[in-house]
Amino acid sequence: MSSTIEDEIVRDVLQRHQGLVKRIETKRRGRVSIEAEKDYIVEIALYLRDKRDFSQVVSATSFDAPDGDSYAVVYCLWSLSHRVLLALKTSIPKEIPRLRSLTPFFESANWHERETHEMMGIQFEGHLDLGRLLLPEDWTEGFPLRKTFRLQG
Amino acid sequence: MSSLLRVNWGPQHPITGHLRFILDLDGDIVVNAIPEIGYTHRGIEKLAENRNYLQVVPLVERVCNIDSFNVSLGYVMAVEELMGVKVPERAQFIRTIMAELGRIMSHLYWFAIFGVAAGLFTLIMWPIADRELFIDLAEMVVGSRVTYSYFTPGGVFADLPDEFDKRAAKTLAYFERRIGEYEVIFLHNKLYQLRTMHVGVLDSRKAIELAVAGPSARGSGIRMDVRSDEPYAAYDQLDFEVPVEDSGDACARAKIRLREMKESVLLVRQALNKLPEGPIRVRVPPILPREDAYSRVECGRGEFGIHVVGQGSDRPYRLKISTPSFRNMSALPHMLKGARLADLPIIYHSMDIWPLDVDR
Repeated sequence: MSSTIEDEIVRDVLQRHQGLVKRIETKRRGRVSIEAEKDYIVEIALYLRDKRDFSQVVSATSFDAPDGDSYAVVYCLWSLSHRVLLALKTSIPKEIPRLRSLTPFFESANWHERETHEMMGIQFEGHLDLGRLLLPEDWTEGFPLRKTFRLQG
Repeated sequence: MSSLLRVNWGPQHPITGHLRFILDLDGDIVVNAIPEIGYTHRGIEKLAENRNYLQVVPLVERVCNIDSFNVSLGYVMAVEELMGVKVPERAQFIRTIMAELGRIMSHLYWFAIFGVAAGLFTLIMWPIADRELFIDLAEMVVGSRVTYSYFTPGGVFADLPDEFDKRAAKTLAYFERRIGEYEVIFLHNKLYQLRTMHVGVLDSRKAIELAVAGPSARGSGIRMDVRSDEPYAAYDQLDFEVPVEDSGDACARAKIRLREMKESVLLVRQALNKLPEGPIRVRVPPILPREDAYSRVECGRGEFGIHVVGQGSDRPYRLKISTPSFRNMSALPHMLKGARLADLPIIYHSMDIWPLDVDR
């Protein structure tokens, strides 16, 4: 029986992190998507980094989840040796938009988290510099990519 | 005790584009470099939320107007994945041809600016003049010269004109000869080599850690190219080589781009030869389903990722654009540490960073 690398990753993660993972699937070749509780994101990411060479964060984003009460946060991790792109998804409550930062473990997550912080107001705990990146230094109008941001015009 | 001098570099286009570096200098050695970006931030991600998915095509092109074919390809691919649309073969080949022409144009533009950074002013004249020929080719197909909106969800908006083959063959033959001249006159030029060799060295371990993208990563010995890692358009049906250099300096990154242009010439020829007959476009549904899709393409500057979230309307609910320049820019503080101030433009341009692309 031949099993693809994507299936192996899915099996590994399910075995090791049973109960922590809400949803896991592989949509097509080279793609895996994992949805987990926010408290386990760092743990799962570290496991993937050490066991499967997911050493790069190539993208991080956040948006108002359709349910209305939470923000979705999505990290994209890339494994150079397996050529697999993995989406690590979670959701965090709107009242306390906090998430443990991946930056102490993945240097490449640094700017992506800074951008997500200033655009969506997500506090990444453990990130050393969440200062302004794209917005002006004196910006006081809130978080532009939230759906509650007031548009003028 | 030596005291450091804090210098403000930019943002008024001091050969490094619209951004600002805050530099701590010890003599002419950079001790600390902090990039300040955002001077060309246009909020494209937010603007896209208030337009329908077709109107977003010309918008995302503005992320990187020098390489608009590749950028818009990334976006339309994400939309097609959401809709579950299969693009006809002929359109896939045409997309590949235009994407490679886009890569050549992007690399030529980079080459010209890189020449200025290296103090070779002839080098801005030649590539810019040659780029004009490719712009003419694009104009022949699309009608416009820089921002095309040529790729639409479902295919491309017009077929290649009859004379395109002949004209392309002529341009490519000329350009192939021209790359040889570039190599002799610039790459093998002592002045050029002295200015670029052992400058801005980035080893492969650090390049991986910092997630450096595209030709800059391949210059550090990392074999990584979306076209071969996760083939899209017609790349799975064409033969091409992914150039890799090991030395990780500015010279290696420049060599990669010259070699890539050669490959692009071969790719365009191959694709033109294999170009199948058939429709160039299929009909697509008017709304984006409630799902999300992440598509990746290899731009001239490296991996370009677009995350589109649909919400059952004709507008993208959220658009996230991950650009290669953004990733490469975040690697600069590391690369500039210990470099000479005079090498800053060379190091910066050897990464092929485009401020519009960084800020979005």
